[in-house]
Amino acid sequence: MVSGKKTKKTHESINNRLALVMKSGKFTLGYKTVLKSLRTSKGKLIIISNNCPPLRKSEIEYYAMLCKVGVHHYNGNNNDLGTACGKYFRVSCLSIIEPGDSDIIKSLPGDH
Amino acid sequence: MVKFLKPNKAVIVLQGRYAGRKAVIVKSFDEGTRDRPYGHCLVAGIKKYPSKVIRKDSAKKTAKKSRVKCFVKLVNYQHLMPTRYTLDVDLKDAVAVDALQTKDKKVAACKATKERFEERFKTGKNRWFFTKLRF
Repeated sequence: MVSGKKTKKTHESINNRLALVMKSGKFTLGYKTVLKSLRTSKGKLIIISNNCPPLRKSEIEYYAMLCKVGVHHYNGNNNDLGTACGKYFRVSCLSIIEPGDSDIIKSLPGDH
Repeated sequence: MVKFLKPNKAVIVLQGRYAGRKAVIVKSFDEGTRDRPYGHCLVAGIKKYPSKVIRKDSAKKTAKKSRVKCFVKLVNYQHLMPTRYTLDVDLKDAVAVDALQTKDKKVAACKATKERFEERFKTGKNRWFFTKLRF
């Protein structure tokens, strides 16, 4: 089926949407703040890189399950996710608090 | 986007003397207080789990094995792992924040939660809560 190709197109669009969130919305980067945003139920979408350690990944997913917040597994490692956020450091997990002008929250949790 | 650190939520304490113990949130302070300017909650937990009771135990032995030792503590949210389980035991009248001010109030609160936990254990419900977490 076509789902084998996590196409370049959707990947680029995630990057575009992330860039828009960085510009216009509120977000936090990093494991500690992601958990904080989940505990206070401020996070609306969590993005995890693909080389996040599996224990940490499952912990974040468990919190998100309790919170009923979507988690997106980014197709790239923490270097790529940092670059996608426009930062010069690695980002393993990030939490979007206000999407701003972006429609990332409406478009993403469909594919999870 | 649903708050889950609410009263009656079962949590696991991660740090401190009671690390690895299961506890129940009695009261949560999301905004913190003057003395503790961070999110924290009052938990009542199990200090010593009840042992395994088998069928051939006498009544005296069963009573001895079903004893639960409790603790009451204010814990930072960061030092808790929330779980998907809840334990609806009414602890609000037994445990209050001022129970932690003096030693004898604390002992009285622990005694009251001990009774509630023991009677809940004896009904056989919430079995997950009363089993020791193996790690």
